[in-house]
Amino acid sequence: MKFERITLENFRQYFGRQRLEFARDKQRKVTVIHGVNGTGKTSLFLALNWCLYGSEYVNNVGELISKEAISRINISDFVDMSVELSFLHEGERYIVKRMRRGMKMIDGGVQPDPLDDFTMIRMHGDGQSEPVKNPIGTINAILPANVRTYFLFDGEKIDDFAKPESAKQVKEAVYLVFKLETLERAHRHLEISAADFRKELKNTSSGELRNLIERDEKARAALEKNEKRREELTNVIEQIGRKIADIEQRLRDIQNVRVLQQQRDFTERNLKQQRTDLDNVTNEVRELAISAYFTVPKAVIGRSIAILDAKREKGEIPSNIRRQFIEDLIVRMECICGRSFEDGGVQHRRLLGLIETTLPDSLGDDVLEISATLRMFEERATRHRANISQLMQRRTELMGLIADLDAELDDLGRQLKGSPLEEVSSLEKHRQGFIADIGSFYVEIGRLNKSIDELTKDIAQLDKDIIKAKKNEQKEKLLSTKLYLTQEAADAIKREYQAYADDMRARIEAKTKEIFKRLIWKESYFQDVRVDQDFNLGVIDQYGRPARPELSAGERQVLSLSFITAMSRISEEEAPLVMDTPFGRLSSQHRANITEQLPLLSDQLVLLVTDEELRDQERANLTPYIGNEYRLVFDTRTNYTKITEA
Amino acid sequence: MADDRDTVAIDETAHEIYKQLTEGSNVLAVPFRTMKDVFMWAVCLGVQQGKKKSLTSKKLTVFRWAQFDQQTDIPLLKAVAIADSGDISILLKRNDILSVAEEYANAGIYDLRDGVFGGYGQPLWNLVSLIG
Repeated sequence: MKFERITLENFRQYFGRQRLEFARDKQRKVTVIHGVNGTGKTSLFLALNWCLYGSEYVNNVGELISKEAISRINISDFVDMSVELSFLHEGERYIVKRMRRGMKMIDGGVQPDPLDDFTMIRMHGDGQSEPVKNPIGTINAILPANVRTYFLFDGEKIDDFAKPESAKQVKEAVYLVFKLETLERAHRHLEISAADFRKELKNTSSGELRNLIERDEKARAALEKNEKRREELTNVIEQIGRKIADIEQRLRDIQNVRVLQQQRDFTERNLKQQRTDLDNVTNEVRELAISAYFTVPKAVIGRSIAILDAKREKGEIPSNIRRQFIEDLIVRMECICGRSFEDGGVQHRRLLGLIETTLPDSLGDDVLEISATLRMFEERATRHRANISQLMQRRTELMGLIADLDAELDDLGRQLKGSPLEEVSSLEKHRQGFIADIGSFYVEIGRLNKSIDELTKDIAQLDKDIIKAKKNEQKEKLLSTKLYLTQEAADAIKREYQAYADDMRARIEAKTKEIFKRLIWKESYFQDVRVDQDFNLGVIDQYGRPARPELSAGERQVLSLSFITAMSRISEEEAPLVMDTPFGRLSSQHRANITEQLPLLSDQLVLLVTDEELRDQERANLTPYIGNEYRLVFDTRTNYTKITEA
Repeated sequence: MADDRDTVAIDETAHEIYKQLTEGSNVLAVPFRTMKDVFMWAVCLGVQQGKKKSLTSKKLTVFRWAQFDQQTDIPLLKAVAIADSGDISILLKRNDILSVAEEYANAGIYDLRDGVFGGYGQPLWNLVSLIG
C-alpha cells in the first residue's frame, strides 16, 4: 500500500476542500507536514484513520464536522464532511471515500447521520473504474484495522510498549501481527452467526411480505434517479478528459517542457501496457489455479495405482480370455475344437465358471487406460506447478515495474509543477486538480453503481420473497443445518486457537533487537533485546543483566519505537509508516539516529511534526528523502487551517 | 456402465459456498468460473484430508457428468473410487463413483472455502497457495 493523495472536506479545522499529495518515489519517499500545536496535525492523522476504518477507531475525539462549515449554513440545512484517499496496492489503484452528512439544529449544533457513507473504487489499467463490493473487508485484507497502529501511530503513545506494566499490550500486539487474532475473530463471528441463526429460526414468519409492492415502487424510483445521475457524471468526466488532453497538448507546445510531457506520454502508455500485462498474467494464473486440483491428492493416486498394479500382477488384468469369446461358445454350445457339448454338461459348467471369474472386457480396457493416465499425473503436476511459479514471478516483476513507473510519473508531475515558468506550473496544477476531480467523480459513480446493483438485486429479491414465504418450513430446516454447521465450526476453531506463540515471539524479538541496535547510540552497552515468556519487553546490558529499570525515558522510547517498527516490518503488510509527533519527547542524539535510520525502514514515510522536532541535524538527515513538504497554517481570522506547500 | 447416473449433486447447505466461489467478475476476489471446478477442488481437498461427509439435507444438481474432463477429471474420480473401495469393479458403477466423490466434496468444500476466503490475502492468491 502506498498513499497517493488525501482530500479533506469540512473535516474538523479543515474547512472546504483541501488536498495533499504524498511522496512515493523510491528515493524521495518522505512527506513532511509541519504544524505548530493546534493547527491540525492530529486531525489529519485522524482523517486517515477515519477514512480507512470509520468512527469506531477515532472515538472520543469530539465532533468531526467543521465548526466553520456548520456556522455558514442555516438551521435545518445539511453539511457534508468527507475524506477521500487514493492509494496503490499490488499494482492496482484504489480510491476510498468516507462521507458523513449532518443537519444544523436550532441550538447551533449539528445532528450527524447515524451511518457514514463508505465507498471504495478499484481503477483499471484502461482508466475505467469498478466499485469494490466488500470495501470494509478489502481494506482489512490490505491493512487490517487492528494492525494499523503499527503503521499509523501516535507519538504520544511512543513508550507504551517499554513500560514495566506493558506485557499485556506486547502480547496483544504479537497475537495481532501474527494473525492469531484471525482465529479468535473467526470464532467470535461464527458464534454471532450461530446466535443470529437461532434468532432467525424463532422469527421465521411470512408477515414481512405485506409491504412488498410499496418497497418495489420505491426501489424502482431510486434506480431511475441513480441511473440519470450516473449518465450526467459520465458526461462531466468526458469533458474533463478533453480539458486534460488540451493541457497536455499545451505542455507539448511549450519548448522548455516539451521533453518532460513527451516523457510522461511515453511513461503513461508504458504504465497502461504493464497494467494490462498484469491483468493478463493474473488471468493466466487463474486458469492454471482452478484446474490445479489434480496436484493435491498424490497419496490417493499412488494407492489407486498400487491396487491396479496388484491386479495386473495376479494376471486378472488384462484377462487371458475375452469374455465375449466364452459367451459366443456358450451360445453355439460348441467347444473350441468344434465338438458340441450338452447343456449342464462338464464343458458347459466350466465355461459358466470362467464367466464368473473373468472381468468384463470393457472394464479391463478401462483399467489399463486409467492406469496409464494416472502414471502421467505426477509429471503433469510438476509442469503445472512450474508454470504457476513462473507466472507468479512475472507478476512480482510487473508490480515492481508498475511501482517504478508510477514513481516516475509522480516525479515528472512534480518537475512540471515546480517549473519556474508560471504558465507551466499553473497548467500542471490544473491538470493534477482535474485528475483528482475525475477520481472523485469515479467515487460517486462507484457509489451509484453499487446502489444500482443493490436496487436491481433488491427488486429481483422482492419477487423471490413471495415464493420464499411459501417455503418457510423448508427454510427452518435449512437454518437448523446452518446453525449446526456454524456451531460445529465455532467449536472446532476454539480448540485450535492456542498454538505457535513462542515461535512468533522469537521473530518479533529478533527484529526488535536488529532495529534497536541501529537506533540506539550506546550500541555496545546493550547486548540483547528480549521478549520473555510473559511478553515483557526488555533489554540485556553488556553484563548479561536486565537493563530496563535503568533505561532512560528516551531509551525506553527508542526501545518502544524499535518494537513498533519491527511489528510493521514482520507483519508482511506493505503499508506506509505515518507518525504523528514522533520525536517530541526524544533527546537530540536519539532524534538524530532515528531520522537517519527511519527512511531506510519504510517504503513510504509520512511525518507530522512541529518545528521543534525537526532541528538542523534531523532535517539534514531527512532532506535526501523528502519528496513533498507541507505546512499547516491556522488562520485566526477565518478560524480554519489551510494546507500550503512548504 | 450398467448404472449411468448423469447428474452431480451437492448438499443444499453447501450451495451458498459454491455460489460465493463462482459468482462475480473480479478474478482476484472470485477465482472460479464453474461449479464443476469447485466440485473437483472440494473432492481433492476432502480426499487429501481423508474426510467424507454424507449429503444429509436436500440434494441440488449443479452440473452433469458430461462436463467432467476425460483426461483429468474422470481418471481422478475413478482413482478416488478405487482407493476408497479397494475394489476395481466399482468402475462399472458410475453411481457409486459419483457418490464417493460427492461425499468427499461435501467435506472438502469447507476446507476450500476456508482456504480461499479465510486468509488475509486475495482469494485467488489463497487458492494458489493450496496447490500441492
